[in-house]
Amino acid sequence: MPENILLAGVGGQGIVTAGDLVAQAALIAGRQVKKAEVHGMAQRGGSVVSHVRISSDGPVYSPMIPDGHADFLIALELLEGLRWTWMLRPAGRVIADDRRVAPSSVSTGSAEYPAQPEKPLAEGGLVLPATQLAGQAGVPRAANVLVLGALSVHLDLPAGAWDEALAGVIKTRHLETNRGLFRAGRDLALERLNRATDG
Amino acid sequence: MSAVRERMLLSGNEAVALGAWQAGCRVAAAYPGTPSSEILPAFLECRERLGGEVYAEWSTNEKVALEVGAGASMAGARSLVTMKHVGLNVAADPFFTLAYTGVGAGLVIISADDPGMHSSQNEQDNRIYARHAHVPLLEPSDSQEACDFTRLAFEISEESDLPVLVRLTTRVCHSRTVVEFQVSRSVRTPEGPAVDPAKYVMIPANARARRATLGARLARAGQRGTLDDLTVEQDGDGDVGFITSGLGYQHLREILPGVPVLKLGMPYPLPEDRVRDFAERHDRTVVVEELEPFLAESLLAAHVEVEGLPEWLHEGELTPSRLAAGLLKLGVDVGPGWTGGEPTPKPRGLPPRPPVLCPGCAHRAAFSVLDKHDVFVTGDIGCYTLAALPPLCGLHSCLAMGAGVSQAHGIAKAMDGQQPVVAVIGDSTFTHMGLPALLNAVYNRGNLTVLILDNRSTAMTGGQDHPGTGATLSGEPAPAFDFAAVARAMGVESVHEIAIDDLNGMDSAMTRSIAHDGPSVIVVTGPCPLRYDVRAEPYRIEPEECILCNRCLRIGCPAIGLTADGASKRPVIDETLCTGCALCAEICPVDAIERREEGDVHA
Repeated sequence: MPENILLAGVGGQGIVTAGDLVAQAALIAGRQVKKAEVHGMAQRGGSVVSHVRISSDGPVYSPMIPDGHADFLIALELLEGLRWTWMLRPAGRVIADDRRVAPSSVSTGSAEYPAQPEKPLAEGGLVLPATQLAGQAGVPRAANVLVLGALSVHLDLPAGAWDEALAGVIKTRHLETNRGLFRAGRDLALERLNRATDG
Repeated sequence: MSAVRERMLLSGNEAVALGAWQAGCRVAAAYPGTPSSEILPAFLECRERLGGEVYAEWSTNEKVALEVGAGASMAGARSLVTMKHVGLNVAADPFFTLAYTGVGAGLVIISADDPGMHSSQNEQDNRIYARHAHVPLLEPSDSQEACDFTRLAFEISEESDLPVLVRLTTRVCHSRTVVEFQVSRSVRTPEGPAVDPAKYVMIPANARARRATLGARLARAGQRGTLDDLTVEQDGDGDVGFITSGLGYQHLREILPGVPVLKLGMPYPLPEDRVRDFAERHDRTVVVEELEPFLAESLLAAHVEVEGLPEWLHEGELTPSRLAAGLLKLGVDVGPGWTGGEPTPKPRGLPPRPPVLCPGCAHRAAFSVLDKHDVFVTGDIGCYTLAALPPLCGLHSCLAMGAGVSQAHGIAKAMDGQQPVVAVIGDSTFTHMGLPALLNAVYNRGNLTVLILDNRSTAMTGGQDHPGTGATLSGEPAPAFDFAAVARAMGVESVHEIAIDDLNGMDSAMTRSIAHDGPSVIVVTGPCPLRYDVRAEPYRIEPEECILCNRCLRIGCPAIGLTADGASKRPVIDETLCTGCALCAEICPVDAIERREEGDVHA
């Protein structure tokens, strides 16, 4: 059975790049992998989703995750996280950046941004200040890499595969910072797991 | 020498480019269109990485691109022409007759269909074009097949003396799947165009003779389609057999990995003996395909007993879950996990997030000025179509490339000049199909204003070059098309050229143009901030000076939003998004929006 990772966010946040990184790491690790997304209109600040499907025991057929079959929802924006939780399996896990980006309907006052969006996402999931931490490191746009670091704790892919994927996708001058953010995300997720086990 | 084998994760578009490169394709032409736009840049990248004599161009439209390909093929060069589905409507004229003339070297046409209309104005199924024009059709289901089928398509084109249509869909174009390939390229030198009037001069007498050979040529292609690299039978359990092609195959396998399947790499012409034989060996045969019941109808017309998918699956994108629901409806046992029930209901009431004009987009200024004029606005295809959405609500039609100019002319004629009309069209779209539309309006003494929004980019499809940008696809300098000079040369007397930051000039040009009796053209120039990375110091709204009129919110800039602090909501600018275009500062009635000074504390 493939492991299904749905990545969601706002056009321009690096969802497509994040999906590329996961898929590339899986390929390097010798897994079967497929990835799907939509380009074009969706990139102009609209909702963007990317599907990544990884298998270690047999082929991946459809590049699209069937409804309700996502094992992980990676959200780079809270409202986009809420929009896609229905795709999760009952035991599916959310990893979300706590960033809020108001859609045009909210900016102009014709709709309300959902109240306390992090609450339902944090139930059985992890909400991180990824953009804030990436901003402190000088690359706010690398929030996606930090969140992937957190995801990496749950995927059975060797560290070397992630590192090679990062080196292949990220520009050389930002590579070291991105590696640091990846580790930071990983540490946050491990810390949370340990706390859960201790408690 | 054995060639190097490689294994890569490629999009369907990159895989098509690689297959064409392997086939020794020498000339490629296209007009950008989602989801096909990445094929030509990937083709040039093959040249960068792997070498080879390769030429590729952005043509001004799909008809021109196909004719460039037809000429190169006549000269003996394998040629690739790519377009989105609606592009084939534009190229339909040469497409149909190319089946009569046939080809010199292989000619392959890629049609990238967009089921679900992610980035399109309709979701036509271009497989039907193949049958209508008698052109062989290949339909890959993943990137490996996109590469292999494209390579094969060149051979089939030459063997059958026909162009070959390869139909992709969005999820084949933009999915990344593993491709194993040899780094080797067939090489041939073009021999030059043959003087062969009976084949290439389609006057009626010659066309009738060529039409008579079409059946035999198509049959040759069809024969090739029956071979095992295109028609793949997979044994399985159960009394129901499935005939499928394209991405539907992958979805079917996702749901029912162990059933008998006949996968058709060439859905037209049908490998009739093989489908008939397959259907006869199963109690029931179900056809799985995306959009129109193209295969199902072809099979039924050939008296092969099959069942197609329910009619509600003839529209929209096919997904594993929708297909499972459709199969259930047909009484197919899809097994546990696919019961068709809603796994978790989709959330209701969340604010939608449609695409918007980018912060700093040059089009926003034009629409904010246009908004002051009481006119009917016909729109066109491009980023500026997004201005139709709230809060701008700035245009009232969008039909086809270049259509806004002709529609405006039609409205003005119908209203005998009593209804002022402005046609808004982008720079690239103007060169694609706006030119003949404007000439028509001038010739027929139309009364309209054409507002050309020149952002120096084919922006919506990813910022490609076009005749106005002064550069070609491969980055060579080219003469930059002069919109105003061309309008004058066509006979337009009222022509205005305005820079995007001159809002007063734009306003007065609009007033004069709308009042002018006859056609007017206003060229508004402001580079696409996304493509040209235009950025200045950001602006901020001074809370003490803001009178909460919210006028700045009505320009629909993603960088301006309401704060949610307490009861008093007020507009603020997100300085990380602001590109410093100054439009909000220009329209603020009390000058409460100011450029952030160096050293200002971040509010």
